[in-house]
Amino acid sequence: MDKIIISGLILAGSFFILVAAIGLVRFPDLFSRLHAGTKAPSFGILLIVLGVCLYFNTPVIYLKGFFILIFIYLTAPLAAHAISRSFKQKD
Amino acid sequence: MEDSISGIVLLISFSLLLGALVLAFYRLLKGPSINDRITAMDLIASVVMGFVLVYSVLINQSVYFDIPVIISLISFFGTVAVSTYLKHKNG
Amino acid sequence: MMKRAYYLVTFIVFYLYKLIEANFYIAWDILTPKMNSHPVFMEIPLTLTTNLGLLLYSNLLSMTPGSLSMDISPDRKKLKVHVLYFTTEEEMMREFMNIQQKIKRITG
Repeated sequence: MDKIIISGLILAGSFFILVAAIGLVRFPDLFSRLHAGTKAPSFGILLIVLGVCLYFNTPVIYLKGFFILIFIYLTAPLAAHAISRSFKQKD
Repeated sequence: MEDSISGIVLLISFSLLLGALVLAFYRLLKGPSINDRITAMDLIASVVMGFVLVYSVLINQSVYFDIPVIISLISFFGTVAVSTYLKHKNG
Repeated sequence: MMKRAYYLVTFIVFYLYKLIEANFYIAWDILTPKMNSHPVFMEIPLTLTTNLGLLLYSNLLSMTPGSLSMDISPDRKKLKVHVLYFTTEEEMMREFMNIQQKIKRITG
């Protein structure tokens, strides 16, 4: 039962990262690409980290996974903000 | 090998991540502006984190879980550094 | 104190719900052949004043379906947002104000 949940989480995470890459190729302008490049990879990493945490199942791993998620979720919007700011300056 | 995840799942997951890497690399080569390239680099960092996490499940070593913590920090600093450089260059 | 803790818990549940909704929404839009995106810039008047409230608000806006917070005006009165699926001005603005009210109840 555990194996099914972990497999599902890892597959869903990889799928969301692939969706982000497809969106990066398909969207027509920079800001729409930023939409795809900010949300979907963070969610994919969240799912994969959850799956790997459940797989190893020790307290240290849960702590490190929590750190990864905090970093990602604090920094992904900031990175998008920095990229959009540097683009707007140009014109 | 009783409680390890089946190899098929990890293989599919690796293929999805590899597809994401190829698509992101296409955007990195083609991207009309530098900001598109930075977005693609950000996505590539996420893809590499996914690779390391899935690989740590494959070889059953929890030590590899430290690497994504470092990558998440470095990719954020890289994105902000390049954006700030562009902003100062243009403005 | 108890009331604020209750609001915090409901806000976290709301955040997670929005997160999942946003990702499935954007995945559906990317994977179907016809992309019905209609990108537009909007400016939201801010009623939040604290640093923590502004951080939470811009973070949540970046993670909700089809909006990405771009820039804040120097006097902290307006937040510039890029909206990907624009419907009508009033509807979007009501949604943004609703979220802002939720955060104001937590941070004060």
